Amino acid sequence: MLDMENLINELKLKVIDALNLDGMTPEDIDDNAPLFGDEGLGLDSIDVLELIVLLEKNYGIRLASPAQGKEVFQSVAVMAAYVEKNRTK
Amino acid sequence: MKQVSIPSGASLTELYRKWVGDYPKFFKMDTLSKLGFLLTEMLVHDEPDRFTFREDRAVLVFSREGCVANDRHYAESMKDFPSPALFVYTLPNIVSGEIAIRNKWGGESSAYVLESYDEARIWEMVRQAFQDKCTQSALVAWIDCPSDNEFITNAWLVNKTDML
Amino acid sequence: MKPELVITGAGVVSAIGVGKAANLDSLQHARSGVAPVRYLATDLKDFPVGEVKLSNEELGALCGAPAEWPRTTLLSICALQEALKEAGLADGCGMRLIGGTTVGGMDLTEKIFPQYSPNHGCGATTDLAALFIGGFEDATTLSTACSSAANAFMFGANLLRTGQYERVVVGGSESLSNYHLNGFNSLMILDREPCRPFDATRAGLNLGEGAAYLVLETLESALKRGAKPLARLSGFGNACDAFHQTASSENGEGAYLAMQKALKMAGLQPSQIDYINAHGTGTPNNDASESTALKRIFDGKVPPVSSTKAFTGHTTSASGSIEAVFCLLALQHGFIPPQLNYSTPDPACVMPCVSALQKPLKHILSNAFGFGGNDSSIILSVYE
Repeated sequence: MLDMENLINELKLKVIDALNLDGMTPEDIDDNAPLFGDEGLGLDSIDVLELIVLLEKNYGIRLASPAQGKEVFQSVAVMAAYVEKNRTK
Repeated sequence: MKQVSIPSGASLTELYRKWVGDYPKFFKMDTLSKLGFLLTEMLVHDEPDRFTFREDRAVLVFSREGCVANDRHYAESMKDFPSPALFVYTLPNIVSGEIAIRNKWGGESSAYVLESYDEARIWEMVRQAFQDKCTQSALVAWIDCPSDNEFITNAWLVNKTDML
Repeated sequence: MKPELVITGAGVVSAIGVGKAANLDSLQHARSGVAPVRYLATDLKDFPVGEVKLSNEELGALCGAPAEWPRTTLLSICALQEALKEAGLADGCGMRLIGGTTVGGMDLTEKIFPQYSPNHGCGATTDLAALFIGGFEDATTLSTACSSAANAFMFGANLLRTGQYERVVVGGSESLSNYHLNGFNSLMILDREPCRPFDATRAGLNLGEGAAYLVLETLESALKRGAKPLARLSGFGNACDAFHQTASSENGEGAYLAMQKALKMAGLQPSQIDYINAHGTGTPNNDASESTALKRIFDGKVPPVSSTKAFTGHTTSASGSIEAVFCLLALQHGFIPPQLNYSTPDPACVMPCVSALQKPLKHILSNAFGFGGNDSSIILSVYE
């Protein structure tokens, strides 16, 4: 569980950095909050692509399409579960 | 005719907080786009109905260096993982797009790369833009941005009547 | 439109041939130039591209320019030479050259000086081509992504309409480079198969390269010097989609406005358009958005439409002029270039024309939509 907590925190930091979420801290992102759409962080289609790069660069996971990306990036918690299961580094 | 500029090396984040504050996509833009975005904000922030869609305003951005400051960042990212967010800004006209998206301007938009700051040429092209009968006003900007910390800017909001 | 503007010469180099005759032959015989990459040194070998089937050495030999020059310039020179020859002009003859490009000299700088690649100014390749041909009074480069060459048309036309020139040369040139192949790949809009514009299974675009230039002059200037008008530029329009940096809006607003402007300038009803050369990149987004705009403008009765990007790939900044030359050929020879690679209709899209129809055409609309929501349309009409 601590590992998962650390991974979630790590992901939040990487997401903030990769997507230029100026002024945000991990505390500002709820684990289960939707990342996309108006209720969430309001991320868009280019952000999906950057997160796809993030996954490959840091965890060796290569997603096939932006559509798959939207599934995996529903929230940080969903992302963390996917990374944990599929990471190759 | 209103005119504004942003001094070289100014903190764009501070200017954003002063003039805007509610557009987080600002932080994804490259420096060229941020400058164009802010200059426009400074010119039209108090215009009535400013977010009502309009087709009668053209956007013309002129520069010498285009988006080269961002191009370098993208080239750097190509060494391991090309960044899509950086690639988006490797065109000198995305700044016109960002201005249009924010302000809902569906008129003509263009980007010109000139050898140097040439006022005669700039105003010749602005005159061209008013050839389109639909165009009643134009956002004109000279944004020279060789790096993220050094830039020369000048922007005008020009009405058709100013061109007579 | 006053004054009347006519095209008196045109030149093209693309994945389907060097020169108008070769391109015409490929279009009429449904022969695509999209194939596995051959000349560009790249790791991204999975993606078919529309390469011009000549090495830089061969291009240099063809046009007489040094093979060490940027490929974008070599392609420009080949197209310019053909256009000027047809127009009966010895060289630049005091005209203004207006060219569109994004890649510019990047193909060269990324090979030799990768760290300097972004410093190679994008105006340099147009200037070099102008210098080589000689005689131009001035050269201007437009860089508005995939609408660049179409915008070069408009800029040139405005110079004529304001009486600043009697004659200009307009167009664009683009060569493949790792820089933008990688970039399009990072946006995940490249297809690993040949593209299928408007098809329900379409998955993206194929990048292409090429150049095309056209001599545009006032009718008065053409008649005065005994040049034969090949077609009229009867209308054009540019508008901003104001939606997203790289994607198009669902209702195709920018495209709709641009086409509407072009039709209005030409004084034409939508029903008078005989053929639409669509932007049709083959991406799920563009083709749906453009289709919506087309259905709106044509009130559901869309004339024959096809995207020739299945022949050439997406030649980005050169597409507006390469496709204008294809429209010119269509007008001159009375045929509609077929939609290649189309088999599964998409209810959200228009149904393109799959066979090369032979019929006299009077008015053709050509679309070119660039990143930044920069949407342009031009209308070429028969000269009578």
